[in-house]
Amino acid sequence: MADLAGPISLDDQIRLVAGLRWRMLINSLRKKNNVLDLIGMAFVALFASLLIIGPSFAFYFAGRSLVGGGRLPWLAIPFWSIFVFWQLIPIFAAGFGSRFEFRTLLRFPLSPRAFYLIGLAYGLADFPALASICWLLVMTAGTTAASPSLLPIMLVVIALIILLNVTLERLIGSWLERLLATRRSRELFLGIFILLMFSMQFIAPLQRQYVQRNPNPGVFSGLAKYLAPFPPSLSAQVITGAVRHDFVDMAIGLSGLTGFVFLFSALLWQRYVAQYRGEELSESPAPARAAPLRASRPLSGPHVTSTEQFAPGLLPPMVGAMLRKEFSYLIRNGFAFFLLVLPPAQILLFGSQLSGKHRVIAGMALNADLFFPGMMAYTVLIAIGPAYNAFAYEGRGIQTYFTAPLRFADIFAGKNLLSAGVIGFEVALCGVVLGWALGPPSIPTLFVTIFALIFTVTGQLPIANWASLSFPRKLEFGSMRGQRNSGVSVWIMFGAQIVLAGISALVLSTARMSGNPWLPAEGFAFLAAAALGGYFASLQPLSELAEKKKEVLIEELCR
Amino acid sequence: MTDVAIRTEKLTRHFGNLVAVDAMDLQVTAGQFFGFLGPNGAGKSTTIKMLTGLLAPSSGRVEVLGLDFAAHPVEVKRQIGVVPEGMGLFDRLTGSDYLRFVGRMYGLDQQTTERRAEELLEFMQLADRPKTMIVDYSHGMQKKLALAAAVIHGPRVLFLDEPFEGVDALAAGALKSLLGRMTERGVTIFLTSHVMEIVERLCSHVAIINKGRLVAQGSIEELRAGVPGDAGGKVTLEQIFLSIVGQHGGQRGVEPQVDELSWLT
Repeated sequence: MADLAGPISLDDQIRLVAGLRWRMLINSLRKKNNVLDLIGMAFVALFASLLIIGPSFAFYFAGRSLVGGGRLPWLAIPFWSIFVFWQLIPIFAAGFGSRFEFRTLLRFPLSPRAFYLIGLAYGLADFPALASICWLLVMTAGTTAASPSLLPIMLVVIALIILLNVTLERLIGSWLERLLATRRSRELFLGIFILLMFSMQFIAPLQRQYVQRNPNPGVFSGLAKYLAPFPPSLSAQVITGAVRHDFVDMAIGLSGLTGFVFLFSALLWQRYVAQYRGEELSESPAPARAAPLRASRPLSGPHVTSTEQFAPGLLPPMVGAMLRKEFSYLIRNGFAFFLLVLPPAQILLFGSQLSGKHRVIAGMALNADLFFPGMMAYTVLIAIGPAYNAFAYEGRGIQTYFTAPLRFADIFAGKNLLSAGVIGFEVALCGVVLGWALGPPSIPTLFVTIFALIFTVTGQLPIANWASLSFPRKLEFGSMRGQRNSGVSVWIMFGAQIVLAGISALVLSTARMSGNPWLPAEGFAFLAAAALGGYFASLQPLSELAEKKKEVLIEELCR
Repeated sequence: MTDVAIRTEKLTRHFGNLVAVDAMDLQVTAGQFFGFLGPNGAGKSTTIKMLTGLLAPSSGRVEVLGLDFAAHPVEVKRQIGVVPEGMGLFDRLTGSDYLRFVGRMYGLDQQTTERRAEELLEFMQLADRPKTMIVDYSHGMQKKLALAAAVIHGPRVLFLDEPFEGVDALAAGALKSLLGRMTERGVTIFLTSHVMEIVERLCSHVAIINKGRLVAQGSIEELRAGVPGDAGGKVTLEQIFLSIVGQHGGQRGVEPQVDELSWLT
């Protein structure tokens, strides 16, 4: 029998877990041996520091001026700002991907108390918590500068606020973990979040429409009355009581804060104990029941068909199968679907803001002949992005393309057909929206736009296909964190679009100088025909390139 | 029809300085149920990837059903089925979507694809959840679906990388019987597994790879005969494996030295 080690102290356990997080951070840096990624991370760190330092000045001066200037009713605002920041940022982060699985620590001999305390310590190590603590401390410095006697009560208040916030954040995180345990709920959460973000874009027009015409400041000031029983307002109440030597007010505020701390702690304890006992959150993938084996029914015998036996149809069967698979993937991918909806929605947004009697931008009247091709180019710019990382969502399925008896050209044909179809549909939809908002363009402009679209889309597809093979990047369904194409692929896309836009500008300016309104349409028709020819010619070399790049593709996408 | 289903000549694969597969000469006769064994990191998956077109060899040659893989990749792929490492599934399709997609990719007509997909889903006990996406399947269900996809076009050579891992006993029994019947009809099955009992029960011939080199190849009886001190042919495949890999694995052999863990025992 092996000798068992003695019990480990709580301090040591917390120290070990802190060391684990640090080691994970260092290892993650070691993996990203790309210099550009490291530079990117340095910029993120710099930005994060600025995010903390910038508001720190505001919180310092808020504390000092509100207490020093006697504007105590406004003291709740900085407390509310910190509270909202601390609670909301981790919620958004939770929807964008997996975080460290704190529950995996349960395999170790931890007591429920240690598990609870380590959970809280985890909460304190998050960026929103660190930033908020920093702001609370500078706010304390500000109020103390205005009135040094406030230091003890301010320290008590911020200690309570920190404990309350970290407990509540862990509690919400724990509830969210339960809610987001299933894939469907995660995707639903992402959908709601995207809709929320998009809906916010309509605030400005609504505000212009209603609030600026009928201002009612009483609505905003009355809100403070309803917020009074909540922790940030209670914190302000304690400080206000201390300034005014109103001990009843102070006692009510402190009791309220302490009550919230106990309430949230009790609820969090309940959740953590459930986790400690082995609560199972993941969805059960096992079938409800096993169907009886049908061994008596023989399977069809070995049979190999050749490509000559394909049923006749509009598309070769492999391209058709590919198109069908791509369409299934598109409608089942919340994020890709969002990208699909975005251009028409943006056009709708621009249209709703620019339609009506006063259609001007920077003092210049809007012209449908100018705006129509511009908005179409913008639609293509957004909608063609996924084509530059066409295998992003294939995952391990990419192996099927290399084990199946097909030319890679068929894969590209299926994928590109869907991309072109989606862009065509979006452009048509945007055209209708723009026609409604700004009126129809002239016939020459319509033809110029159509031919220019064919030229820019088919001109980009071979480049996009090459980039997809050469710089693949795996993306996850229903996730936004870290979901970006390879940096090189993004630069290639920008480069291709700049070149194509330059050619288009050249054609347009030449035509303008000639004074013939149909000349650009003729020019783009020629370019579109050339681009289509180039596209078909590129398929075979791309098939050969796919064979050479298969290891890169499989390694990247099967990770 | 050629007698040799799979043949490799000096098949080699380097990853930088590491020689994952070193000048391998392998031969599998048509209709054999062939087991490919080796310790972790020996080069099994690299070999199977080169045999199925997922990885290009650094040098050497692969021939399947008499066709040079490098010269006739499409013709070879049309006649083989593969369950690759990680299964190669498109996880946002349903099982039915996936089989229909794969059937069409292998050139089956629509009607045949539909019929076979339906039959296979029923046989694999996957037909009762038609709208479930593959991402929501259990590991065992994914494995069964990958097997179904590998056989939907009726391949003449089937490559299976750990096919029974995670599959329940009931389904595994049915699958073994299906694979047995396929070999009776002339299909060659090339299988890797870490479970020696499965290989011993199913396979007539085995090859053993260690540190990228093929160290043994033949029928189980032939390998058994080569083990020193065999008493009456009672040596199991596991013992054969340990004996052969031990001989080629260096001074200490491959069996963990339990005596060194005295604090545990």
